[in-house]
Amino acid sequence: MSVLPKIRLKNVRKTFGAPRSGTETLAVDDVSLDVLTGEFLCIVGPSGCGKSTLLNIIAGLEMPTSGVVEMDSHPITGPGAERGVVFQDYALFPWNTVEENIGFGLRHRAGPRPPPDERRRKVAEYIELVALSGAEHKFPHQLSGGMRQRCALARSLANEPDVLLMDEPLAALDAQTRLILQEELLRIWGQERRAPERKTVVFVTHGIDEAVFLGDRVAVMSSHPGRMKEVIVVDLPRPRLETMRASPEFQALTAQIWNHIRDEAYRATVAPLER
Amino acid sequence: MSRAPALRALIAPLLLVLLWQVWASNLPARRHVPTPTKVFAAAYELIATGELPLALGQSLLRVIAGFAVAAVIALALGLLMGYFRAVGRNVDPVVESFRPIAPIAFLPLAILWFGTGTPAAVFIVAYAAFFPIIVNTIHGVRSVDASLARAALTMGVRRATILRTVILPGALPQIFTGARLGMGVAWTSIIAAELAVGAKAGSGGSGGIGQMMFVFYAYSVELNSIVVCMISVGLIALAIDRGLLWLQRRSMPWIEDKR
Repeated sequence: MSVLPKIRLKNVRKTFGAPRSGTETLAVDDVSLDVLTGEFLCIVGPSGCGKSTLLNIIAGLEMPTSGVVEMDSHPITGPGAERGVVFQDYALFPWNTVEENIGFGLRHRAGPRPPPDERRRKVAEYIELVALSGAEHKFPHQLSGGMRQRCALARSLANEPDVLLMDEPLAALDAQTRLILQEELLRIWGQERRAPERKTVVFVTHGIDEAVFLGDRVAVMSSHPGRMKEVIVVDLPRPRLETMRASPEFQALTAQIWNHIRDEAYRATVAPLER
Repeated sequence: MSRAPALRALIAPLLLVLLWQVWASNLPARRHVPTPTKVFAAAYELIATGELPLALGQSLLRVIAGFAVAAVIALALGLLMGYFRAVGRNVDPVVESFRPIAPIAFLPLAILWFGTGTPAAVFIVAYAAFFPIIVNTIHGVRSVDASLARAALTMGVRRATILRTVILPGALPQIFTGARLGMGVAWTSIIAAELAVGAKAGSGGSGGIGQMMFVFYAYSVELNSIVVCMISVGLIALAIDRGLLWLQRRSMPWIEDKR
């Protein structure tokens, strides 16, 4: 087994400048992180910790101010089909049907594209995988939130990226739908398969139990500025089952992560009121 | 569509005609007040002789030609100006400094360059229709949800392809608004252009509904016939606008009909 990470971040810093006042905000400060091939890595942290910025940097949508960002030892210089992204607001094309949305990358991306027959076959395959059969010809506005996110997931997967980057994909959903989609996500990701056959996933969330339920490891960040605080290994067996949420191991892990960010979370929500 | 709303839509125009008739026939008798009855008689005659359809057809062709030229240029330039900030920054001052210059101000130049025929009129119409289309196209492009273009980028889609597959459909509602406004000013400017070209050409043939109005005004003083011309332009422009609305709904099935 190779020891090279799939994604490597080394001393990544990101500052944002306000165009008029000229003041700079440090969003991410000196973050180093290796994401291993086939692992499901979750990033948690209070709001403002730069976790979404970090994901955008890996996606190539934003450039780090300094530091190294690599995939398979090659520097990341921009967005690419090998790194698919699932967004919190789904970002589905309103004028395309479910089928057209899922086939979008295969049809329009630069470089090699499958012929129409093969594309249709693949799209049908992913529609079935995310359980959207029967909704092929619907437009996004005709779908529920959960269905939209399934569609967005299928759109990313159908483009066959090497790495899947997910930016709080379940945050906009109601609690029950979120729990169901967490399990669905693990099924689709292939937790029954052996680790080398799985896709590498980086999953940003503010839900601690979500991170523990899904991840092989959980990277905990702190805010103002965004720093990497701790990377915790989730030593729960796969497949993860709904019943595990009540287990002492699960509870211990969530408590451990909560301890890391509690002070800051309190400071962020309570302190402004006392001022 | 059921038939009842279509009938209800006729109530307001009929009331207006009735009001006009009552108002006009209660004025002291003067030659220069058109009444619905006289206007209908004039309309019947103008249609029967084929004069009105011919002139309307001529103007319609000019409007369509000018509008098509404007739409192609404004759409292409507007997409580029809206999507590529550098293009927008550089071209916008040029467009904005031409915009306040009334189309009719170009008439002397147009006549000198193109003569008193169709090309001059088409030029004026194209110039007039260009601005509403380009301004709305730029605005439409800039109002497309930025996360959609980002999503396409992360699928490995090139910027030029994104312009066609994401930005264009996203801006389509605004583009249609621009097209409808552009069609409106195309009609206002064709009348002005043909009136003025008609004045230059005298009663000789430059044609079109505007020139017909000029002839009725300057040579035979037939006020009722002028009103016929005005009403027929209004009706034909209404029909075209409804056609554009229909096309808009047909081409954007993803937008829920809120009517």
